[in-house]
Amino acid sequence: MLTRSPDRVALTGAVLALVSALMLPAGTLRPNRLAQGDPHSWLAAGAILAVPMLALLLAVFASFLCSRSLRGHVLSSAGVLLIGGIALSLGALSESLMVDAPSIARVSIGSGTWLMLAGAAIVAFSGWQALMGKESASQGTHVRMVYPLATAAFLFAAVAFGGLDTISLAAEYGIRTAVFWPSVIAHLRLAGVSLVLGLAMGVPLGIIAARDARIRRVALGVTGIIQTIPSLAMLGLLIAPLAALSAAYPVLRQLGIRGIGETPAMIALTLYALLPIVRNTYVGLAEVDPAVVDAGRGMGMSRGQLLWRVEMPLALPLVLEGVRAGAVLLVGITAVTALVGARNLGSFIFEGLGQAAPDLILLGALPIIVLAIVADVGLSFIADAVTPKGVRAA
Amino acid sequence: MIHLDGVTKRYGDTVAVDDLTLDVAEGEVCVLIGPSGCGKTTTLRMINRLITPTSGRIMINGQDASELKAEELRRSLGYAIQSVGLFPHLDVAANIAVVPRLLGWDKPRLRGRARELLELVGLEPEQYMGKYPRQLSGGEAQRIGVARALAADPPVLLMDEPFGAVDPLNRGRLQGEFARIQRDLHKTVVFVTHDIDEAIRLADRIAIMRDGRLVQYDTPETILDNPVDHFVRDFVGSDRALKRLVRVPVRDVMDTAPPVARRSAGAKEMLAEVGRTRFVYLVDEQGRLTGWLDRAQLKGGCTVEDALSDADPAQVAVRPDASLKEALSRMLGLGFRSIAVVESDGRLVGQVTLGSVEGAMTESDEHQGARPAEHMAEYSAEDTSDDSVLESIASDDQGDCT
Ligand SMILES: Nc1ncnc2c1ncn2[C@@H]1O[C@H](COP(=O)(O)OP(=O)(O)OP(=O)(O)O)[C@@H](O)[C@H]1O
Ligand SMILES: [Mg+2]
Repeated sequence: MLTRSPDRVALTGAVLALVSALMLPAGTLRPNRLAQGDPHSWLAAGAILAVPMLALLLAVFASFLCSRSLRGHVLSSAGVLLIGGIALSLGALSESLMVDAPSIARVSIGSGTWLMLAGAAIVAFSGWQALMGKESASQGTHVRMVYPLATAAFLFAAVAFGGLDTISLAAEYGIRTAVFWPSVIAHLRLAGVSLVLGLAMGVPLGIIAARDARIRRVALGVTGIIQTIPSLAMLGLLIAPLAALSAAYPVLRQLGIRGIGETPAMIALTLYALLPIVRNTYVGLAEVDPAVVDAGRGMGMSRGQLLWRVEMPLALPLVLEGVRAGAVLLVGITAVTALVGARNLGSFIFEGLGQAAPDLILLGALPIIVLAIVADVGLSFIADAVTPKGVRAA
Repeated sequence: MIHLDGVTKRYGDTVAVDDLTLDVAEGEVCVLIGPSGCGKTTTLRMINRLITPTSGRIMINGQDASELKAEELRRSLGYAIQSVGLFPHLDVAANIAVVPRLLGWDKPRLRGRARELLELVGLEPEQYMGKYPRQLSGGEAQRIGVARALAADPPVLLMDEPFGAVDPLNRGRLQGEFARIQRDLHKTVVFVTHDIDEAIRLADRIAIMRDGRLVQYDTPETILDNPVDHFVRDFVGSDRALKRLVRVPVRDVMDTAPPVARRSAGAKEMLAEVGRTRFVYLVDEQGRLTGWLDRAQLKGGCTVEDALSDADPAQVAVRPDASLKEALSRMLGLGFRSIAVVESDGRLVGQVTLGSVEGAMTESDEHQGARPAEHMAEYSAEDTSDDSVLESIASDDQGDCT
């Protein structure tokens, strides 16, 4: 199939990347990590970027002549190449600026770079979407995974060999290496444990909700209201009762249950995970064809057999979709819980805000974004894999 | 075996089933029939306790159904539901094996059973075992639904319009198959249908329902001969004489020695045979029907090869277990005065002529005192060819026909 209609999304991404490359600064050289500095344009970075940039534009236009699946590959490769090109060019720029600068000087990433990355990501993502489309789903998931892996490889190469280790973000990381990885792990653990708790409570609640209209109204109503409470307010609400409990029962304190720290964080996160999981479990079960349930009952299946052999397998894709939504949500909200003393990636953000050090904020924010994307992609992968063959979209 | 005693089901103001008393003897086929919404499905579902009657009692095998454990009761009653309801996440083999799996059969036995049942419902096992329900047509899915109900070999079958979505040709075949299995296995069957021909063909007794009430419960013959009221008379239709033919399988009236010639034997023998009988079926070495030769087709200057007709047995023949009505309507449709009877492997085993159909009608009319169907006489033999043509061909075998 030939599609000559331009892919508007990819085109927008390409134009965004091009305009920001020409108009906006690539990076800023500052005298120290807190001071304002001088912007430097991409022209100062030399021609390294020109090649992938040109390749990208050609690819975007060429893709309009390609079949749908080929277009997906062309756009994905172009986007990934551009991201790699930007990372390498940024490293080169930073290295050249730092040659003449004092050692406390910092090179921060400029707005032009961010917007180019965004543009490149849009191009790559539109290609990825085309690959995820129905017609090309048969090509298998393995091929598609090449692109995220290639992106990661480019970024790694830019840090290890391309001079990207001289930018301010890397310097912030260098200062905090000792706490960075424990924070990543703490972040994942807190979000993960809360998600599992949410799952353990949400799935049974969803099952009951599918059986009983009254419980359904209450369960969906309450979890819906929880979702609307701002996370800071929720944490604040939890501090007082938990503190009182822990004061009244020393046993609890010994177990680590206090008004601040991981306990309120975990409770809040579990509550937030409930809505997507309960709702999707309920919807998944409610959407099972009544004739199918009827046939199962008519053949003499018990309620349990019906639930585990028929209804849950059919509802599973939707349940996992809820888990995915919950996971992405929790990775983000976990950052906020740093405010009540749960040490995680959010701590860098709040420290950075306190010190007015933008690159420290980034040190917390960027990994959170990456974790959220990894959770999103990974879980939709799992959802694909466990969807029963007979109900998978053709 | 199944005994319904004053069973009523109310939904608010609507009475779905109204004081229904019905007995189904062991090994009998009871067909429930009636207009849409008359309570057929409700009745069936009360038998396997998917619906609890508002009042009345249902006895199964001498036991009050309401005192049995619902799941165990249902596993002993094969149920093909009206909306089929195959499990979308299981393949055809696994769908068929659901109840045997609940009963704890081992794997090889499950697969063997699935294969056996697919053959029974006329679907090629190798082709269908691994398919998923969404890859099936409505009629195929329905046949899998029937196979699933039969899987654990339950003594009682509850079938809710099991062939409703199957095309007429396959439906006729499945009905024949059903009748054949039933002759051997003697299940107790409650069968719901909208199709009066299907009811007459398969039923030992027909229960005609209307607005939740039982209007008449009798053998098909009695219902055809003595409808209790206008409703039943209209329901059965005006062509009752014709409907009786539905009860008669072809094998009962077919002529088992039809005129036949081997195609390989050559033109001489074929002509000799057709000279005697005007019409001859042609078969191959294995006795399979391949065509026929009609004297009317022979004209001067033609070879026998030009005059004979090739036959696709699916089009121009019927099976021994087809009904006489089917044979008649095929004959009328094709404009033939007789039709070949072939086994499933294509072997010619007989023929049915209009004369034998007429005979069967007269016979079934006799005890009712009706006159034979006179209009059938028009179809008696009319011969358009004459012997001289035949001779010219016999002498000029290689002549060309333009
Ligand atoms: N759950 C229910 N609630 C209310 N009314 C119902 C319910 N189930 C069935 N009915 C009513 O009971 C009557 C009998 O329904 P049933 O399904 O037994 O009909 P049926 O004879 O099987 O019809 P069809 O030939 O269309 O399948 C109908 O009038 C229907 O509207
Ligand atoms: Mg019905």
